[in-house]
Amino acid sequence: MVGDRDTGDRYFEPQVETMPREQLRARQEERILELVEYAYGNSAFYRELWDAHGAHPRDIRSLDDFRARVPFITKDMVRAYRARTGDPFGGLLCVPVEELTSVSSSSGTTGDPEFFPEIWQDAPPLVTAQVRDLWELGLRPGDRVLSPPGTFRNLMDPGYQALGAVVIEVDTWIGRMHEVVEALRTYRPAYLQMMYPQMVELEHLAEKTDLKEAFSSLKGASCAGQPLSRKMRERIRDDWGIDVYEYTSAADTGTAWECREHDGFHLWEDTVFAECVEVDEHGGWYDAPEGDLGELVATDLDNRAAPLIRYRSEDLVRLSRDTCGCGRTHARMWVAGRRGDETLVHGRSVVLRDVWQAVEDQPETVAGVFQIVRDRREVDELRLRVGYDPALTGDVDALAGRLSEAVRERTGVKPVLDMRTEEDLLRTMTSVAKFPRVVKS
Amino acid sequence: MARADTLARARELDRPELAYLVRFPAADGMTDMELTWAELARDTEWVTERLREHGLAAGQRALLTTSGFEGFWGHAVIGALRTLKVTYGIAEAMGWDHRRTSVFHRELAPHAVIGLSAETLEGLAGGADIGELFRPTSVVLARPAAVPLLRGAGVPAALISAVGPALALECPERVGAHVNAAEWRVGERDGQLSVAAGEGRVSLLPETPLGIPGRVITGRCACGSENPRVLLAEANWPSSSRS
Repeated sequence: MVGDRDTGDRYFEPQVETMPREQLRARQEERILELVEYAYGNSAFYRELWDAHGAHPRDIRSLDDFRARVPFITKDMVRAYRARTGDPFGGLLCVPVEELTSVSSSSGTTGDPEFFPEIWQDAPPLVTAQVRDLWELGLRPGDRVLSPPGTFRNLMDPGYQALGAVVIEVDTWIGRMHEVVEALRTYRPAYLQMMYPQMVELEHLAEKTDLKEAFSSLKGASCAGQPLSRKMRERIRDDWGIDVYEYTSAADTGTAWECREHDGFHLWEDTVFAECVEVDEHGGWYDAPEGDLGELVATDLDNRAAPLIRYRSEDLVRLSRDTCGCGRTHARMWVAGRRGDETLVHGRSVVLRDVWQAVEDQPETVAGVFQIVRDRREVDELRLRVGYDPALTGDVDALAGRLSEAVRERTGVKPVLDMRTEEDLLRTMTSVAKFPRVVKS
Repeated sequence: MARADTLARARELDRPELAYLVRFPAADGMTDMELTWAELARDTEWVTERLREHGLAAGQRALLTTSGFEGFWGHAVIGALRTLKVTYGIAEAMGWDHRRTSVFHRELAPHAVIGLSAETLEGLAGGADIGELFRPTSVVLARPAAVPLLRGAGVPAALISAVGPALALECPERVGAHVNAAEWRVGERDGQLSVAAGEGRVSLLPETPLGIPGRVITGRCACGSENPRVLLAEANWPSSSRS
């Protein structure tokens, strides 16, 4: 089956995936003009907000009008509407609840989960938008996939099955990696969804198990929830022999995956209208120059249940609309982090990347399990909670001393360390996908 | 619409008859069997009728708590809810996701909660009274270890449980969980359950001891069904039944 990867059927929907950008833009414009009418007519949230901003659909006749007149929205604005009105959908819902097929939600790692109302036929929306990505990875009818560890945003199986894949039911959550390896050897799947805690566990298994042999049937594995560090990615690719495809959220409108070029995350721009902007504290904004960092702002183009319109994701990204080496014309983005993840210690900037590097450089903490603990962005001390592998750690105090120095060298700030075992720290996760890097307590 | 076009393209593919390879714990270790699309459709039809007996109907809401590796029955339950036009919310069955269950329950006021686990209840119990939380819910279908906790709190929960590759679902009578006799044969030996595939299943599964303590009742249920019922020790049968 590996041969499929080199044949001419690389694109699942070639006309869409390689559509000239001017056609793509025309399609987006057409869709957005319909969307503005639809949302204004059916969503209490948008009608109230747009009325307050003097943005009426009759005045929006082009993509430029849309960008000039329609205000941004934020998660906090939707939460505030929800709190004020008691509407669990924050006023975004455009259809009666009875018309919904399902309601999935965010993980709720930073507050009450936000609901994602869904209307669908063969497969839920999130995984349906991944079908092209899975095809690119090499998944084909008859291939086997291991069931994912969680339901994420609804049961994922129907998406895999839409591609003709057979799902093998294996509990792939924390503590089960030996079973996963056994299942890999028995069933020889082509695809596996991986999560960060699983990789930490595999790292431990690697000492006594030939993971390269176990993973040899995979055409690829995906990984989401948080970025892989350089070291972890090399480990997975070079030592375990896995072609790993990272993906990330497309600002809650879907997901954005790497293609085989592994050079940025593709946004499917027939499902999302993406902007990369700089917003100032007074609400003024301008487009980030192509290649510069900006905040990803997304508009749902394929969601009649509760579309997000000019939604500020808080994700800091670089965006490129250049054609990718894979031939696809849809934009790619590179994620630099989350707005607000930077910590100021006595005015000195500390970013996750620097802490991560210092943690990964110690053999006992190579898995990079750590969190910055803070109750606000500006703090007096850098408090770090770090997970270590007890099998590799003889003297925790000595490790803490080395780690403290490594962090100070990278960030210029001496940290206050709270050392835990990796397992203890990973078990504090309250999401199947996300291991929060910045926590309040 | 983009996703609809993607799925239309997907429907053109030659798809295998198989939907799942179901792995389940048996007395002698993990074993597996195939689940075809035709079988999944029949399972969905059966679950639809069971949920209809519980009063689920168009316009209602349900909350399903499940895990990614439970698709072989979760898919059937979701299919049934869709057939019944019941909008469902979904949360993980694992204990750490109890807050999501709590928020869904509070905000969507579901008519039915399906798949509640003891781990979820344990998480919820830290901040709420389980009885107060679920007594107003018309239908609570809970996993074996959760059933005694709920019944002890005055919630008339019914049992939903995988019995190997089969699904067992209690009717509103709550005198044991029905297993579809048209598809499966369940038995007991030395106080432990066994399961075998019925003749209509493509994958042959001979009588397989499951290592699940329990009993089987045959004969007509008060609900009118002739399907056998399993009584699981983990669900504390019979001491807390119909309490």
